[in-house]
Amino acid sequence: MATVTLLLQTLILGLLAGGVYALMSSGFTLVFGVMKVINLAHGAMIVLAAFLTWWVWDRTGLDPLLVGIFLSPVMGAIGWLLYKTVIARVQRADWELTLVASFGVAVAAGGVMALVWGAEGHAATPSYFTTSFELGPLVVPQAQLYACVGAVAMLAALHALLRGTFLGRAIRASAANRDSAALVGITVERTMAAMFAIGAATTGFAGAALSVLYQFVPDSHYRWIGLILCVVILGGLGSFLGAGLGAGILGVSEALTSSYVDARWATAVPYVLIIVVLLVRPQGLLGGRVRADGVPA
Amino acid sequence: MTAARARRAVIAGLILLVALVPVFTPDTYIHNLLILTFVVAVTASGWNIVGGFTGYVSLGHGAFIGVGGYTGGVLAAHWDVSPFLVAPLGGLAAALVALLLGLATRKTRGAAFVIVSYAMLELLGLVTRNWSGVTGGSQGFLMPLPSWDVRFQNWPFYYALFVLVLLSIGMTVAIRRSKLGLGLMAIRDDEDKAAGVGVRTAVYKSIAFMAGAVLVGVAGTVYGYYVSTLSVGTMFDIVLSMQVVLAALVGGRGTVWGPVLGAFLVVSLSELTNTTLGGTDAGAFRLIMFGGLLLVVVLLLPKGILPTVGNLLEHRRRGDTASPTGTRLEDTPLPPAPARSGTAPSTSDLLRVTDLTMRFGGVTALDQVTMAVPRGSITALIGPNGSGKTTVFNAIDGTYAVTSGSVTLAGRPITGLGRAQRAHAGVGRSHQLPRLFDSLTVVENVAVATGEFRLAGLVRSAVSGAEAARAAELLEFVGMGAYLQARAGDLSYGQRKLVELAQLLMLDPDVILLDEPAAGINPTLRARLTALIRALNDSGRTFVIIEHDMHFVLSLADRAVVLARGRVLADGEPDEVRADPAVLEAYLGADLAVGADR
Repeated sequence: MATVTLLLQTLILGLLAGGVYALMSSGFTLVFGVMKVINLAHGAMIVLAAFLTWWVWDRTGLDPLLVGIFLSPVMGAIGWLLYKTVIARVQRADWELTLVASFGVAVAAGGVMALVWGAEGHAATPSYFTTSFELGPLVVPQAQLYACVGAVAMLAALHALLRGTFLGRAIRASAANRDSAALVGITVERTMAAMFAIGAATTGFAGAALSVLYQFVPDSHYRWIGLILCVVILGGLGSFLGAGLGAGILGVSEALTSSYVDARWATAVPYVLIIVVLLVRPQGLLGGRVRADGVPA
Repeated sequence: MTAARARRAVIAGLILLVALVPVFTPDTYIHNLLILTFVVAVTASGWNIVGGFTGYVSLGHGAFIGVGGYTGGVLAAHWDVSPFLVAPLGGLAAALVALLLGLATRKTRGAAFVIVSYAMLELLGLVTRNWSGVTGGSQGFLMPLPSWDVRFQNWPFYYALFVLVLLSIGMTVAIRRSKLGLGLMAIRDDEDKAAGVGVRTAVYKSIAFMAGAVLVGVAGTVYGYYVSTLSVGTMFDIVLSMQVVLAALVGGRGTVWGPVLGAFLVVSLSELTNTTLGGTDAGAFRLIMFGGLLLVVVLLLPKGILPTVGNLLEHRRRGDTASPTGTRLEDTPLPPAPARSGTAPSTSDLLRVTDLTMRFGGVTALDQVTMAVPRGSITALIGPNGSGKTTVFNAIDGTYAVTSGSVTLAGRPITGLGRAQRAHAGVGRSHQLPRLFDSLTVVENVAVATGEFRLAGLVRSAVSGAEAARAAELLEFVGMGAYLQARAGDLSYGQRKLVELAQLLMLDPDVILLDEPAAGINPTLRARLTALIRALNDSGRTFVIIEHDMHFVLSLADRAVVLARGRVLADGEPDEVRADPAVLEAYLGADLAVGADR
């Protein structure tokens, strides 16, 4: 009986973590799907949002997760700025190097955060951060639950935005074919900027969740981008649903490794998964094979 | 000539100067600075072979320093020998890891490679930290103390790393000039096309990855010995990996000296900030500076210093006159067709396609296509748009894995072979939109094609010797002899078609598949093309030609196969096919029937 309990408990914790991972990865995978940009600064934006959350919470005592909701537009604005000043320019100059440029942004951002907040660990600790609901022998940590529910709500809102609005249709049209979208009257450049801003806005709540659930330092962004890369590689680069699935798998795999192998190896799980997936099924679980044409696009 | 000699003298002088630094000055500060520079230079040169030549940008190249350092350290302790002795094993270990990394890129490109290289760096760091029984874990791993006389200071480290820098440069030069290097640059420009002209991409990439890691691994052991305590933080440092990318980008990707120049700049700058910005915030400032610098270089100087300066000098020397416009083609007489080396012609079918079916999801692009191409024939493959003509080519040359059916060439089944192997077996194929390696010159574009694969052949020089001579001869034949040194990216559409033809002739193929050779080119060039195809056909080559220009293709062909909706509609002599009522209805229409009567 105890073994079943342990397994169930592990699955619960894994899935709760997966919900937050899904939100963290959603913006990244959307930006890749639409713009074919690997934004390595996405992890740094999440950590930045975590610091901002912590800072507001520390000053005012407001609920960190609530702060995260209001951070969304702030992070969106930062993303828009990043797109205008760096990403759009590099794309014009040398498309291949956007990834290197975004990495440069991430490294520099790590430096800036270290200057402002120092290199020691931070964590937002609201009243509920150590309390749990108990379901018989099973334990559901409140912070994990609230963060996961909030993340799923954010994802649902994002999905509705992309499916139900003109902006969403314009984004999907631009993703399918930039030139044709421009021909039917979509301002592709503005749509791309909006897309990038929306992708960045998801880091607001994701960062808030991070600040409550984990301890973080400026350099944490290397770890989180590794995790995000794993999620999107698992699910298939650019696939929104795939990111959800990949996040669930990663969360559960980490939890299983922690419970049954050794907590020290849990951090290695994302990297192992990346390498295995790229060896076995490089298009990811839900990524379709792109039809290879005899002629280049 | 004098410019080249002056260049060589300057380089020799600089090398000598750096070699003599420890003799001139006993200042260990300068020695240490240069040792660090050498480490970055070796790593950046290795990165350049993978990221510069082959186009696989890696963010984890510093991992090879760690692999070499820990391998050398652990083995030296185990056998109780000097780390210098086991440094080559550190290189071997790094090369093996690189080979594994290469395996992950068999099916993935671009972005996925960056991700996997990053994952490798982080994973190796974690494994080293957790595997504390062997590596000392977070405690660090102590290297033996140097056994030489203190009067020699850091000299052994200095010279060992200096030699490694020279070896790195030598290896880069050798690769740059070889057939291997040309193949790598072709992979960078268009990997699928490279396979189509006979480049065994998986083998080339594996060699490149190993070459890019081996000296870095050796340097890792020496560097580990030098820092004396190995820790995950220094040996698997993401910031070091980033400095390496920065050095290669600043100096110039794909150049020989760029990464070395970049290493000197990056390390000097790093040192400058270390000395001016002391205190607790120095680390943060360094991150901001390097991240910002990476950004600035990508935005303002994406090609790097050496190529930018080189372009400026070239521009000033030659002015603007070097654009590849030129002679009128009809003025030049057609040279004799290049000789076929190959088997004696037999009467049987050279190429046979049997029950070929190709499905993409729910779409059936080819439905049990069966056709035979007699040896020595010119077979036209015609049909409406979307009827599956190009898909047949893709199935024959291996671009697609077919759903079912088989392809045989001269009686030998080739369905199971990869693209490069099919090119070696004798399939040459042109593309509807000609695909060339845009950053290579015209003659390099042709010289890169290879009709066979031998490891020993990879070291052959690609810029001189028999290969280049044959490439020039073929370009002469197609009428592009005046443009040997032009960059392929600067050519016009028609010129690209001719170069692509020369490229596939370099394979010395049995059967040549041409995809719409006459589309979009002017009548003069079209006449020239007709003459070329005739001459090549007379010299024993077999053609399959996809074309929409019926007069052009049916006057040339001795057989025609008509496809419609993925099925063979008709197959026979051009005149028969032209008169076939089913074909007229499906495709040709009344116009051509009238034209045929004329």
